[in-house]
Amino acid sequence: MVILKEGICPGINEDFIKALQSEDIRTVEDFVSCNPEELAQKCSLSYKALVAVRRVLLAQYTAFPVSGADLYEELLSSTAILSTGSPSLDKLLDSGLYTGEITELIGSPGSGKTQVCFSVAVNMSHQLKQTVFYIDTKGGMCASRLLQMLQTKTPNMEEQMEALQKIKVFRVFDVFSLLACLQNLRSNGLQKASIGGGSVKALMVDSVSAVLSSMLGGKQNEGMSLLMQVAGEMKMIAKDFNIAVLVTNHVIKDGNGHLKAGLGQSWSHVPRTRVLLQRVENAETSSLRTATLTKSSRQACHLVEEFDLCHWSEERRTSISGKRKLESSKP
Amino acid sequence: MHRTVPSLPLAPSVKVKLINAGFQVASDLIDMRPLQLCKEAGISQEEAVEVLQMLRDDAQPHQQRAATESLTALDLLHQEQTLGSIVTFCSGLDDALGGGVPVGKTTEICGAPGVGKTQLCMQLAVDVQIPVCFGGLGGKALYVDTEGSFLVQRVADMAEAAVQHCTLLAEDTEQKQALEELTVEKILSNLFLVRCHDYVELLAEVYLLPDFLSEHPEVRLIVIDSIAFPFRHDFEDLSQRTRLLNGLAQQLIQLATQHSVAVVLTNQMTTRISNGQSKLVPALGESWGHAATQRLILHWEGLRRLASLYKSPSQMEATIQYQITVQGFRDAPDEPRHTDSSAVSSPSGNYSKRPRLENLS
Repeated sequence: MVILKEGICPGINEDFIKALQSEDIRTVEDFVSCNPEELAQKCSLSYKALVAVRRVLLAQYTAFPVSGADLYEELLSSTAILSTGSPSLDKLLDSGLYTGEITELIGSPGSGKTQVCFSVAVNMSHQLKQTVFYIDTKGGMCASRLLQMLQTKTPNMEEQMEALQKIKVFRVFDVFSLLACLQNLRSNGLQKASIGGGSVKALMVDSVSAVLSSMLGGKQNEGMSLLMQVAGEMKMIAKDFNIAVLVTNHVIKDGNGHLKAGLGQSWSHVPRTRVLLQRVENAETSSLRTATLTKSSRQACHLVEEFDLCHWSEERRTSISGKRKLESSKP
Repeated sequence: MHRTVPSLPLAPSVKVKLINAGFQVASDLIDMRPLQLCKEAGISQEEAVEVLQMLRDDAQPHQQRAATESLTALDLLHQEQTLGSIVTFCSGLDDALGGGVPVGKTTEICGAPGVGKTQLCMQLAVDVQIPVCFGGLGGKALYVDTEGSFLVQRVADMAEAAVQHCTLLAEDTEQKQALEELTVEKILSNLFLVRCHDYVELLAEVYLLPDFLSEHPEVRLIVIDSIAFPFRHDFEDLSQRTRLLNGLAQQLIQLATQHSVAVVLTNQMTTRISNGQSKLVPALGESWGHAATQRLILHWEGLRRLASLYKSPSQMEATIQYQITVQGFRDAPDEPRHTDSSAVSSPSGNYSKRPRLENLS
């Protein structure tokens, strides 16, 4: 919805706008939905002028349909699959994080969500040489841990510093700052980053539930709107800039005692893929985790893979596949 | 200004009126005068002034800058190295925590009654004041007491022991000079104490903390002992409690990051019954577990007191033994660690990093 102002189109001047405002027409949308004949009579403006302005505004502001084939071509050429660096997790995610989509990690406290985000960020900045944007809402970002991870990958100090410079951190602690950050990224942040030489391919938000869960529920009526705005911004960033978005969320127990993602039903539709992380009970090493695929449009759900947080790039010798719900039906 | 009107921190009723008037983006609003805005949107004069002030406001530089400027991880690394951490005088725990309680993060200490949470908090309030030349932070401390378990005499004993410890360590002239100023009276005078009687007072206190910290920039530690007590009794609406706690957690981590303080919270334990078995888990619910950056669980094993690092973004899980002496929080006397029958031995044989003894999830 664009407000009618002087100068958005030749032929619109202040008197024109005042006359329209007296009929309660303030935006382009209101203007084009009105009948020009009636409007000409009510506002005493020339019919020709109204039709001309209407034509120009329609041409400027309508969306044009695109054919499916063109869309498919565009998708093939622009989507990239970014490996997470862990063979088990890649297997689960159908070879990695897809750009243009939101992937969600859920798990109870201490299950390893932040560690997985770190490992993925380090892999992208070091192995794939891409810039990563990391939005931290919980204070969990620990650069010394990133350095530790890089030191296991390469002993060369320069490479480590270069990789660290490719990870850009934003620290925001409430939902309005998060929205400001995302909107700023969308309007100029991402273009600046790609001009600088690196290409941005990933955005991580850890975690989205920390800022949103205090706004939902009770007598508050704004929570859902803010949740959907955050979702909308992330999706637009993912689609417009071909970026893979990774978010973390907490878990709650539903009626049957099963774990499901927090933030409610509406949020559960937002990510395309969802992975549940859990500790392994009675494990030999305390860094073992299992990842279960709980939502995916590409693989059968309930696949389970085990991996070790300490040995990110190694494949586990045994991989446990859980019960398969359907035959794997690939498009 | 690329912010959309629905994403601005204004009252929902004001936003609805602005959107109905056709304003979609903040840049539409920014050139308006209050009277103009008042007429077009149908909001009152005060609301119009508030809206415009918020848009042009530079009074919250931290948040604005944080939202638009990013730090690279390299800058963050340099920052972290200058921040330091607060020692606990128990070397095992300091190693497990990576040097001590980190400044700029929130740490939660959970434990059953009597295991030593308040002792550890009081020890930290003394240790933060150790001068920089001895390896401490030389900062002040704010102690928010909700349970009434703060005892000045005990802190005085701990301060005495800390001063004696520093006296034994003093070598060069700089350290000897700093030692002259370090007395029990000075340590007690740098400890600010607040007593909160219910959750409303606690929330109000946290709300006032940013101003307090701006006036006292040398404060490096905030202890809230305990955060569970005011929220556990007399609270009917549990979902409201979760919301309040989540909001509180975000405010605390914001304080910790912006003012470079360490925030330490104490939590109590509750019993969870599952599959016919009962076990002790930290109180305040499942979602509170996500709130603190680091979680330390203190528990008994027979007669030994153990501390387990349960959740941390930078340290591996570890369990160490400690003891409480007349001087305060200290290492356990014998060299650890005989593996218990209930514990699983670590494959690398590295005794400082051991898996948790209990399944605490």
